[in-house]
Amino acid sequence: MSDEKWTVTFIIHRQKGPDSQPHFDEFTIEIHPEEFVLDGVEYIWAYKDRSLVFRHACHHTTCGACGMRVNGVEKLACMTKIADVTQDGGKIKLEPLRNFPIVGDLVVDLGPLYRKMHEVHAPEVIPLCASPWEGEGIKPPQETPKREDGEEYIRLPDCIECGLCVSACPTAASDAEYLGPAVLAAIHIQGIDENPDLLALADSREGVWRCHSAYECSAVCPSNVDPAWRIMDLRKQIIARRLKFKK
Amino acid sequence: MQDATAVPKAGENVWLWLTKIISGLIVFVVLTIHLIVNHYVAPEGLFYYDDVINYFKNPLIPIMEGTFLVFVVIHSSLGLRSIILDRNPTQKVMRVVDTVFVVGGLAVIVYGIWLLVYVAGLG
Amino acid sequence: MLSREQQGLNWLLQWFDPRGRSIGGLAFILNRITALGLVLYLYLHLYYLRQLTMGPQVWNAFIDSAENSPWIGIGELFVIAGGLIHGLNGLRIALNSFNIAVPYQKQLFYGLFTLALIGIAFFAVHMFGA
Repeated sequence: MSDEKWTVTFIIHRQKGPDSQPHFDEFTIEIHPEEFVLDGVEYIWAYKDRSLVFRHACHHTTCGACGMRVNGVEKLACMTKIADVTQDGGKIKLEPLRNFPIVGDLVVDLGPLYRKMHEVHAPEVIPLCASPWEGEGIKPPQETPKREDGEEYIRLPDCIECGLCVSACPTAASDAEYLGPAVLAAIHIQGIDENPDLLALADSREGVWRCHSAYECSAVCPSNVDPAWRIMDLRKQIIARRLKFKK
Repeated sequence: MQDATAVPKAGENVWLWLTKIISGLIVFVVLTIHLIVNHYVAPEGLFYYDDVINYFKNPLIPIMEGTFLVFVVIHSSLGLRSIILDRNPTQKVMRVVDTVFVVGGLAVIVYGIWLLVYVAGLG
Repeated sequence: MLSREQQGLNWLLQWFDPRGRSIGGLAFILNRITALGLVLYLYLHLYYLRQLTMGPQVWNAFIDSAENSPWIGIGELFVIAGGLIHGLNGLRIALNSFNIAVPYQKQLFYGLFTLALIGIAFFAVHMFGA
């Protein structure tokens, strides 16, 4: 990596609590173009303004804590390269995720999402067959390896509950009770055959029919969940069951 | 295995969705036929009174337009209803909305069919 | 996941603001705008058709006044454009809803939108050409 540094102005949403008036503060810093947006935010917090409220943990896309809007688009700040979102002498606008209550500055309360995931009992681990193959684009696996004892391999689900999909979804903006992309994907992963109660939930007013195919959830998902594909597949499965093509 | 704790809300389901999709497809097909037929029957455009009356002399035309009317009212009502549902109205509000759409939709269809029969009868 | 009070009017912005949207999001915006426009047109159209029952003089006078207004032709083209965009995008949504071609929804949109643009251009030439 070269020693090249860019001059970048961060325009950051500031809001001390949900009821206070928001405004934007500008911070101009020197940063390497191969560094990440989160590095810039941490630098600003360390050297420019210790009152800046943001959230992060792992720095490598695993925890889902640093979700925010970068130049208007939902991203994980830890995996968004400076060079991908601005240029030397350019600007980066940072805003909190939409459709969640604001805690302060860049931090939102993801509690409503966690509660809904809890309500559908989103599992801690899932069978390997419920995940898309890594590196082959977003599609369901054709075949999955079996363990020697015949049991299925299990793994952590792809969804890191970062909330990016909910922030990008236009329906979630206007309907607080809509289950939303992450929760519907969790229902799909668990399977409606095995969980008739989840079938009833998915085929309800706040289920798959509230989705209007904007595909924003899949466009911003940093973790290969592809919620939109899962919602469409849920629809197909529900139609087949209600029309008795499949018992 | 635990049951989901969230309670499914009534008001939208697979049947309404299928009705919206199928009525949309019928509207699309009939509208395409309408544009083609219109082009051949009245290449200069279907504007003046005599042109319209002549157009409706063919008995297939009122049937085609009537089919279009019924399905376009169904499709548009379900579509508007879906947009209203996106604002998460209360069940009470939705009952009023549903009543307005059913009564209003039926009234529009009756009015439209009456208009078709009336115009076809002028020929 | 915000209450009605917390949403304010942001929901309206998120329905129709194209900034930062992907192709699917832009298709959603187009679909919603054309849907509302077509419904408005449908009911206005049905309302004005009642003049057919008032005899040839009333109807022909109405058509003459409409023909003399340049806005009517432009409005008609908007209706055709709305119908083509909404109808063709509706096909994409219908196919996707049965989990057909979901991974290709962008390409499907590009193809169908191009078809809609060709249709709009054809009707524009037909209506306003020599």
